[in-house]
Amino acid sequence: MAETAQLLVTCIIDSLYPATGEAVVQVLNKVGVPVAFPSNQTCCGQPAFNAGMRAQSRSMAEHTIRVFENTEGSIVVPSGSCTAMIRYGYPELFHGEPVWLQRVRTLSERTFEFTEFLVDVLGVSDLGAHFPDSCTYHASCHLLRDLGVSRQPHILLEAVHGGQFAELPHSEECCGFGGLFSVEHPEISGAMLERKIANIEASRANLVISCDAGCITNINGGLHRLGKPQRAVHIAELLAESIRDKSDD
Amino acid sequence: MSDQFHKNIRSALDNPSLQAALDANAIRRLNANQQAFASLGEDLQVVRQRAHERRVRTIENLDFFLEQFITQVKDNGIIVHRARDAQQAVQIVLEIAQDNQAKLIAKSKTMVSEEIGLNHILEAAGLRVVETDLGEYIVQLRGERPSHIITPAVHLRRAEVGQTFHEKLNIPYTQDVPTLTAAARRVLRETFLTADIGISGVNFGVVESGTLCLVTNEGNGRMVTTLPEVHIALMGIERLVPTLDDLALMLALLPRAATGQKITVYTSLINSPRRANDPDGANQRHLVLVDNGRNRMRESPLAEALLCIRCGACLNACPVFREIGGHAYVSKAGEGSPYPGPIGSIVSPVFFGQSEFGQLARASSLCGACKQACPVDIDLPKLLLRVRAGGVEMDPSQALKNVPGGVAWGLRLFTWLATNPGRFALAEKAGYIFSRIFAPFSRWLRLPSFTGWGYSKDMPSPAGRPFRERWSTGENRSSMALSTFRKEFPIQGRSSETIQEKSKPPERSTQEPRPPGDKDLVKRFSKELITLGGTFTYCQIDEDGKGSSEDLVRYIREFLQDREVAEIQAWDWNQFPDDLLPGLQAAGIHVVNQPDSEIKIGLTGALAGIAETGSLVLPSGPGRPLTASLLPEIHLAVLRADTIYENLAQVLNLPDIKESAAVVLVSGPSRTGDIEMTHTIGVHGPVEVHVFCLIAE
Repeated sequence: MAETAQLLVTCIIDSLYPATGEAVVQVLNKVGVPVAFPSNQTCCGQPAFNAGMRAQSRSMAEHTIRVFENTEGSIVVPSGSCTAMIRYGYPELFHGEPVWLQRVRTLSERTFEFTEFLVDVLGVSDLGAHFPDSCTYHASCHLLRDLGVSRQPHILLEAVHGGQFAELPHSEECCGFGGLFSVEHPEISGAMLERKIANIEASRANLVISCDAGCITNINGGLHRLGKPQRAVHIAELLAESIRDKSDD
Repeated sequence: MSDQFHKNIRSALDNPSLQAALDANAIRRLNANQQAFASLGEDLQVVRQRAHERRVRTIENLDFFLEQFITQVKDNGIIVHRARDAQQAVQIVLEIAQDNQAKLIAKSKTMVSEEIGLNHILEAAGLRVVETDLGEYIVQLRGERPSHIITPAVHLRRAEVGQTFHEKLNIPYTQDVPTLTAAARRVLRETFLTADIGISGVNFGVVESGTLCLVTNEGNGRMVTTLPEVHIALMGIERLVPTLDDLALMLALLPRAATGQKITVYTSLINSPRRANDPDGANQRHLVLVDNGRNRMRESPLAEALLCIRCGACLNACPVFREIGGHAYVSKAGEGSPYPGPIGSIVSPVFFGQSEFGQLARASSLCGACKQACPVDIDLPKLLLRVRAGGVEMDPSQALKNVPGGVAWGLRLFTWLATNPGRFALAEKAGYIFSRIFAPFSRWLRLPSFTGWGYSKDMPSPAGRPFRERWSTGENRSSMALSTFRKEFPIQGRSSETIQEKSKPPERSTQEPRPPGDKDLVKRFSKELITLGGTFTYCQIDEDGKGSSEDLVRYIREFLQDREVAEIQAWDWNQFPDDLLPGLQAAGIHVVNQPDSEIKIGLTGALAGIAETGSLVLPSGPGRPLTASLLPEIHLAVLRADTIYENLAQVLNLPDIKESAAVVLVSGPSRTGDIEMTHTIGVHGPVEVHVFCLIAE
């Protein structure tokens, strides 16, 4: 029996995309990993951290550490950005405080981004997922450049049966989200998103796969505003698609 | 949000010409850099890490290295000045100018001079200051600031440059880049020849030898450090490298990261003023070492920014810079900074004030493209976050000054909610209810523009039942978690191994360089030189290399006759095979040693060649005028095959490098990319470079 994984669902998925959270659970269950959800979790503190309000960020980080250090097993986060916050943001936030840093280190060693957990920890590649349409992949910034996670989602996507994978031109360029950046600098954020959308159209795929709900919200927000038919979805939903299909049978 | 920064952003986004220029820059630079890094001969990540460590060591021990460096530079005969701040630095330059009764100053590109606001103070004192880097010259004519630290006129299209030249230089309007470049060459040549003082920057100061290293492509850096009697070099105190080996490492990275070149056309190594028997070179050299907040930065959480070697790669990689360009980056009061882009948003608040310039660091999506592009692996996103958190002092009240009010209050509220799960769950519900009231029939919210988000995007409605609620009712806690499923998905490897393997650096290649003169090296040299736009001719010569060199004499004589040139500037006869100059004179060629701007062809020897980059190594010294490879339009060089070395590091350690007053590495003809990054040959230095390589029979 595999060790139970602790789901850090992230505040965006919790409040905007509960179905994505469920897809994560379904995928993990399918590969034999029971999932626990520490229900006191809220937000990792990244919004305040990125805004430069470290005291506020810290109180959210402390809350998150307390919630999860009382649990056991791997912590799985369906977001590259929130994983990077714990792995690299927390040590910065608690800089110079050995006791807290030790707690951060212990936590961070157990924490994995969703695809990283599937591929690197569990060694899974083919989930038997099936998707009959074309899809493409947007490489989220923190996932790609902070965590160095790129191979893992590609391995999982290559194993999806049925559809075809289209290359997204300049897939490594930022979509313009950047958390509060998109609110403080809507003009720049919008211009960056315009580029991303043009590239999505050039890929001719209908579905954009991403591992971060922040990028998904941003990209879909622009696509919807412009009346475009394409949509971005979290990789967990694609991987869970066939599981749902089968359970319908 | 109607402050100057936002106004600039909007007008930049609405300027199609600027957008086209910035797009071209981003695309061209990215491709060129990737190609150039592929030619490193070693894994880029390994080289970057090595460079990062060298820079860290230098900055950590800056006091020690600085003291050593100053001692060495003084020993070499260069006058050293130290400036605590911008005002002192300007004052020092002003006094040197007054002491020398200077009227005209020719400047090559120096970011420090922009930082300290040098030009307008010199001009206010009645001096004429002329920028000679083509890009800087263009922006100076237009009364603008540079918009990029490497390519100052990157924001302009050729039509705008054509219009500026037409208005300011009285030449017929043209969009032809070579014509525009030639016009600047003509005008600025006069400046070089008549300037009383040359001012330059310093790319690296070498501690062990006291060498000032300058890299340029156009040749203006050579001009201003060679022709005027007085040379003033401005240098930030952090730009030190301990050894010549370190210099070789940095020179492998800087041009590749900056412009996608393996090496810049001219790499000048300046050791001292002109020596007693030297035919040319500045007689008086000053080095002004500028602190201006750097020591404060060094003792702060922003110290890592001092590793910067000012290549501009983070600007080119930055998606925000690509949208808004360098001129948009301004303080609250609307004042520009000479350092735009990611690195600028970190250092500008230190140099010019956190409360005024701190806002720039917020204009970043923290995507990390800058860190990825940085050749010395500076963690720019981390530093941007530290600037947001209060900068040098990490002072929360400073931080708050730059957080828009609505955002600050919103985050306080969010924190209050998110530190209590009950409150957080209630807030999620409230968000849902709000969205139902606001948009009862849609899954999407169209927020007003002033919210920021609503400017160009819609917002998905919060879920009626957030994940936590669904979980608590148990509806998705599927019982599929059975170990039987596990068999379908065998474990391939454990995380710890994979992650370690991923981060493990590849082995450093420890291959010994080939001996100089090796056949393959000669071939490589010729290939690289030809790629750069030079030509390469083999000449057979006697075993001892000093005797008959009929081939050489014949080739050069024919070349001169072809070009109908009867007068050349050349190094002394003893720098060549014995029969070369007599052979030429016998054919009616008049040979002079002194610089003369009318002479079309310069003939030099070479101390060595560098195979990797196709570079000629030309030291100054008795009988070896620097101007012979600089002023004439055509440069002919005689190079012995057995002095062709594999790489730069080997050459930098040759004894003659440290012993000459100045050395220049010449890699092909003078060039620029300052107008629309259009590669154009021949700005200030020679338009043609022809190498005659002597090979013993």
